[in-house]
Amino acid sequence: MYSLDKRMNKRPKNLNLLSVKFPMSAIMSAGHRAAGILLFLSIPYFIYIFQLSIINETGFIQAKAELQSPLVKVFCLITIWALVHHFLAGIRYFLLDVDIGIEKKWAQKTAFLVMVSGFVIFLVILFFYI
Amino acid sequence: MTYQAKGLQAWFFQRVSGVFIALYILYFLWVFFTTELFTYQLWLTWFSHPLMNAATGLFFIQLVVHAWVGMRDVVLDYMPNNTIRFFSLIVISFILIASSLEILRILFSLSLNA
Repeated sequence: MYSLDKRMNKRPKNLNLLSVKFPMSAIMSAGHRAAGILLFLSIPYFIYIFQLSIINETGFIQAKAELQSPLVKVFCLITIWALVHHFLAGIRYFLLDVDIGIEKKWAQKTAFLVMVSGFVIFLVILFFYI
Repeated sequence: MTYQAKGLQAWFFQRVSGVFIALYILYFLWVFFTTELFTYQLWLTWFSHPLMNAATGLFFIQLVVHAWVGMRDVVLDYMPNNTIRFFSLIVISFILIASSLEILRILFSLSLNA
């Protein structure tokens, strides 16, 4: 099912990323993927925190304290950016599916909007969380 | 589903699970930030409520479906070597299955005590 067709190996490859022009939508899309991978990797940690917090009162206090430690804070901040970006980009894909913002000009503008608002929301959370 | 439209099923699952995950997260954040102070008792009562307990379980199943479709796409796109591809998919599926079993175990234990 996942095997590659032999013919596909003859397709031209262009691995020099510097020779490719990346429009804003491509950068946003790459961010969406990277954020998705990051969120996937964060699942086990958040299960651990949830279990710790719900099992008993001591665990709850422990979980709260752990979320306050600097290293976990940095990790949480990166995860929060990933979630916000993934969320906004996801809404954009939904709109594209129903042909809203499908024109080239608008697609670039909404991609820019997703990038910027993701970053702005991240900065706001950073301000309150630190 | 015909062979030509094989990706449509994954696309559809990705959209449906995406909507559910988004709504759950918005609800979670809304309750989390409108509650003055979260004590352990409040936290436990919230997740022990049958509706919240079931919704969280469903959320996690949707999350696993969403993560599987997404991670599978990434692996298929960037890993041309069949052996690496195969083992990556096995590792990803094991992580997702183990995660969902763990979260469901926690949620079931809460609903039994409630």
